[in-house]
Amino acid sequence: MLGKLMKYDMKSMFRTFVPMWLLAPVISLMLGLSVRSMIAWEKNSGSALKISGYGIGLIMIVMLLLFTGVMIGLTVMTILFVIQRFWNGLLKEEGYLMFTLPVKTWELITSKGLTATIIACISVVVGILSCMILTVAFTDEVFLELMRWWSYMKKDIAGIGPVFWLQVILSVLLVIAGMVKSIYHVYAAMSLGQLFEGHRVVGSCVSYLGISMVFSVIMVVLSVIMNLVLPNDWLYDYYHYINSSAVTFSVTYMLFLLLVTAVQIAVFHIITERILSTRLNLE
Amino acid sequence: MSGILIQCQDVWKSYGKREVLRGLSLQLESGKIVGLLGPNGSGKTTLIKVLNGLLRVERGTVLIDGEEPGTYTKSIISYLPDKPYFAGWMKVSDLFDLFEDFYEDFERGKAEGMCRTLQIDTGLRMKTLSKGTKEKVQLILVMSRKAKLYLLDEPIAGVDPAARDFILGTILSNYNPDGTVLISTHLISDVERVLDEVAFLQNGQVVRQELVDDIREKEGKSVDELFRDVFRTVPFGGGAW
Repeated sequence: MLGKLMKYDMKSMFRTFVPMWLLAPVISLMLGLSVRSMIAWEKNSGSALKISGYGIGLIMIVMLLLFTGVMIGLTVMTILFVIQRFWNGLLKEEGYLMFTLPVKTWELITSKGLTATIIACISVVVGILSCMILTVAFTDEVFLELMRWWSYMKKDIAGIGPVFWLQVILSVLLVIAGMVKSIYHVYAAMSLGQLFEGHRVVGSCVSYLGISMVFSVIMVVLSVIMNLVLPNDWLYDYYHYINSSAVTFSVTYMLFLLLVTAVQIAVFHIITERILSTRLNLE
Repeated sequence: MSGILIQCQDVWKSYGKREVLRGLSLQLESGKIVGLLGPNGSGKTTLIKVLNGLLRVERGTVLIDGEEPGTYTKSIISYLPDKPYFAGWMKVSDLFDLFEDFYEDFERGKAEGMCRTLQIDTGLRMKTLSKGTKEKVQLILVMSRKAKLYLLDEPIAGVDPAARDFILGTILSNYNPDGTVLISTHLISDVERVLDEVAFLQNGQVVRQELVDDIREKEGKSVDELFRDVFRTVPFGGGAW
């Protein structure tokens, strides 16, 4: 049933996001190419203040505005859509349909959460790709510089060994887990907020801040405990004298962070599931 | 066809401090069309939401086909809420897909046939349809299921008399005769002719539950007349009508 639910959640989100995902790299490429021709024109003519130079400059400004717009749009839309699909899809009229389907509440929440995570991940990848396309199209220098940096890095990576890739994978997992945590944080806040009859939006915002404060306090307490337990200069050791024990330690630390994030996700999920199962308050 | 389909025993439900269901007990058999009748605020919608699993009771027992509200009961209940519940981006055909995916008893051919009869284009998005057409689509979806229990919350409220006839006609000619139809309404004279049984709700309790034929025989009154007697209130300023 989870798969069937995700099919509909995906459909509802993809129809809005696909055009944006396609538009972003195309505009990046056009912006990069217009800057490149601007530079070429300047080199050849000695001055950009000629009629054709104005034309290219204008295109560049328009492209720059478009690129900024698309990037901001991508970020804002991803955040708004994650909120809107949960709010409208489960807590308003559509909730009458979704909560009377023969599925469990956790499946409804997980479907929304997984879909939102996939959308957020694709948006991040599209954002990074667009920036890369922009810089590469902009000038060859950036690309060459990147290649030089990579050849240096390869030596370092070889020195560290396969554990480097383990760290890369863990970092990616941490970023994804962080996104899932943020999404579930919003879900838990909205589930609490719907209990405030007549003030559901304000209730959700207050709940969001309340949850943030509670978790901040918990994290501070945890980090104090960590500092007491761990050696003081492990991070310094890691960056300055890359040695096997420091690397192993950093991997352990990342695994620990991943575990903490997973616990937070589980807590948010349980809060959301319990409230929507027992205290659903549809408009 | 008989057998207990709905069994509610001493059911309590409140919103904050406001008690809406106050020790309600109700037992309904399969194969009947039952009117859930009561004035505004008597708890009709709350009871329907409890039966279809949208609300949980604080006390008491609710059993549908022998099971507490959950995934199984949702699979055998066809629910018509008192408001549209569609996502605007969905096409009528998308909704048919959704119902086909989740409800084994959904008869797509029947739904498409009803759309053709009513000249509703299934390729249109819900947000482009008029309020009346949306209500028709919702009714088509609900009545195209061969459900064990139909919960229809105020299906004829806020529509003109011709539309009322259409809605009641659709319900009568499409429901599963082995199942039970529970219609909540306060517009009794319009639904009276289709009902087998009525349950009167007042202040969150069932104050009377009887077969329509028995009411006519014993009381010599229509259900509408009996309803007016049971729920008669003195107008503000006194006097009688």
